Amino acid sequence: MASPKRVDVNFFAPSTASMKAEVSVARIIIIFWALLSYGIPTLIWVTGLADPNGLGESFITQTRFLGFPLHYWLVAQGCTIGYILLCKLYCTLWDRKVIHHHSKRFGGDR
Amino acid sequence: MSRYLGTLILTLSLLLIGSSCALAAGEEIYQVEQGFKLVPALIMVALLCVYIGVGFLSKVTSTSGYWVASQGIGKLGNGAAIASDWMSAASFMGVAGLLYLKGWFGLGYIIGWTGGYVLLLCLIAAQIRRFGKYTIPEFLGDRYNSHGVRLIAASVTIIIAITYSTAQFKGIGLICGWIFGMNYTSSVFFGAGVVCAYMLISGMAGVTRNQQIQYAVLISAFLLPLWFLIRKAGGTGILPQLDYGKILSDLMEGKTAVGQVDVDTTYMIRQAYLPWGKGNFYHFLALVFTLMVGTAGLPHIMIRFYTVKNEDVARKSVLWGLFFISLLYWSSPVYAAMGKFWYPTGGKAVADVIILSAPERAGLGSAFIGYLASGALAAGLSTVAGLLVAGASAIAHDWYATVFKPDCSDREALTVGRAFTTGLCFVVILTALNPPALIAQIVAMAFAIAGNTIFPVVVLGIWYSKSNKYGALAGMSFGLGMTLLAMFGWIADIPMFAAEGILPATSSALIVCPLSFLINIIVSNVMADKLDEESASRSDNLLRKIHNLPGYVDDEKNANKNAFAR
Repeated sequence: MASPKRVDVNFFAPSTASMKAEVSVARIIIIFWALLSYGIPTLIWVTGLADPNGLGESFITQTRFLGFPLHYWLVAQGCTIGYILLCKLYCTLWDRKVIHHHSKRFGGDR
Repeated sequence: MSRYLGTLILTLSLLLIGSSCALAAGEEIYQVEQGFKLVPALIMVALLCVYIGVGFLSKVTSTSGYWVASQGIGKLGNGAAIASDWMSAASFMGVAGLLYLKGWFGLGYIIGWTGGYVLLLCLIAAQIRRFGKYTIPEFLGDRYNSHGVRLIAASVTIIIAITYSTAQFKGIGLICGWIFGMNYTSSVFFGAGVVCAYMLISGMAGVTRNQQIQYAVLISAFLLPLWFLIRKAGGTGILPQLDYGKILSDLMEGKTAVGQVDVDTTYMIRQAYLPWGKGNFYHFLALVFTLMVGTAGLPHIMIRFYTVKNEDVARKSVLWGLFFISLLYWSSPVYAAMGKFWYPTGGKAVADVIILSAPERAGLGSAFIGYLASGALAAGLSTVAGLLVAGASAIAHDWYATVFKPDCSDREALTVGRAFTTGLCFVVILTALNPPALIAQIVAMAFAIAGNTIFPVVVLGIWYSKSNKYGALAGMSFGLGMTLLAMFGWIADIPMFAAEGILPATSSALIVCPLSFLINIIVSNVMADKLDEESASRSDNLLRKIHNLPGYVDDEKNANKNAFAR
């Protein structure tokens, strides 16, 4: 079957240089996002495994940070602050890597 | 014009008859002070007049004006519009209610609803902007070259609109009930009248301009009372969002407004604020994951990216939108903690109105509470407006104008859109009269639908060129089927789908969403040989456009091939 060459787009195997730049930015942010979103609850879970009541009490819940129990602050404010910083980082990285790349292509560097 | 006025008057009179006939009442309303409240009522009426006034000033005539406001909104404005669309009665009343009831576990709603934006930004926002057409069903229909995909996507948009609006109407009903001393049923009808009138008159250009005003009203309404509340609770009153930490730590030792509570109550409060007192590790992760993929897959949030000038603005408006939303989410736990402080033993019945009853118990003046209530009403109203537009545009644009009657005029599509907006509104009222769960839980179910159906197919549509219509149909049908199964299971009280089950309706995506991805990929690869040339070349063309690849052909205008039109 002779058919014209299909476009190849795959997040895990970006084909063009511009797509590579975009994916590399997205990948960094998604890794940090996963660490924040699932790493922190996992940390709280692992440290709390020793609590005989099964409520997850640990040094994290006993530590006070800005007046808060640390486990509460981390999820209520730490994560959201982290997400905003990640979005900012995404925009910055994009400006640096992707737009830089585009302008290079605009200059005729194909 | 007179025809629309006629429709409007008819709708309003129907709704008023409905509200006078209504009999039943919501249980929650009895937990707060009853009767007609003059000051809050005046504040609310003034606010509604502003909204409808702005609607009148921005009438629209063309179809594209009705669906998405002209593409000229900046990053701050669009950020505020995202936030205003986002900040529904669920965020305003529901999150505080859940945090009040579930303590630490309820924080899952906060990280779920903020973290989703990071996913949206990384995987979807810029590419959707490059696509540059009206609706998500349209994107999917073009990408997969299939009316089937388009129809399922449009149906999902409508189901989401109905589910999500139901929660808003519950909130609007509770607020109107509190202000006017009406019973729950009449106030749902009353609120619906306002929403319908507003929607029919303005259309989305008006909605967008309103959304910035609404955001300002809303966030100030939510934040201002906190300073007074926190002082009454013994805080310093500098920054309530930090002040309440001490109060929360004291609460865990049983220190409340009514003095030191007994051992059992202390244990109950402690249990709520310790990590796994109200749900286990799995349920927490499942909830967080569901809300995140749901956020990234919500059609009425994605539609916001068409309304911006370019993709740079699209990216930055996510950043601003998230910041504006976080202002609210840093504050709703304060209300919940204040609620526990003044009312440590309240149950489910008081949860959804905790933002009203906590200040009431603290003796905050009725003007403040009235402003707060009007803010919550505004939140519900603007979200419902955005949702009904997304739902009605799915019907008019994707069902009617594209599949059933491709040669219809703009005017005809606009009329159909308006008619369906009204129709949707009535369906929502019927559902809202007997809401199945807490406000935030109903909303979470809408997120599960978005996360299980729309998110996988959009992400694969953008990032996986081998995904084709067969895979998309299989994946979406599976996702939608499983989510609906879980929702009906929840309503029917089947343990597996309840809040503590394996597949709760509010957090089904941790299991269903990855499977939906997998099914899409497998079926696409198995059926790859069956794919016709036309579908393949059309989806390739679209992929070239959204990824700035060379060789894109604009088959509509056949002009401007510059892929980097920035």
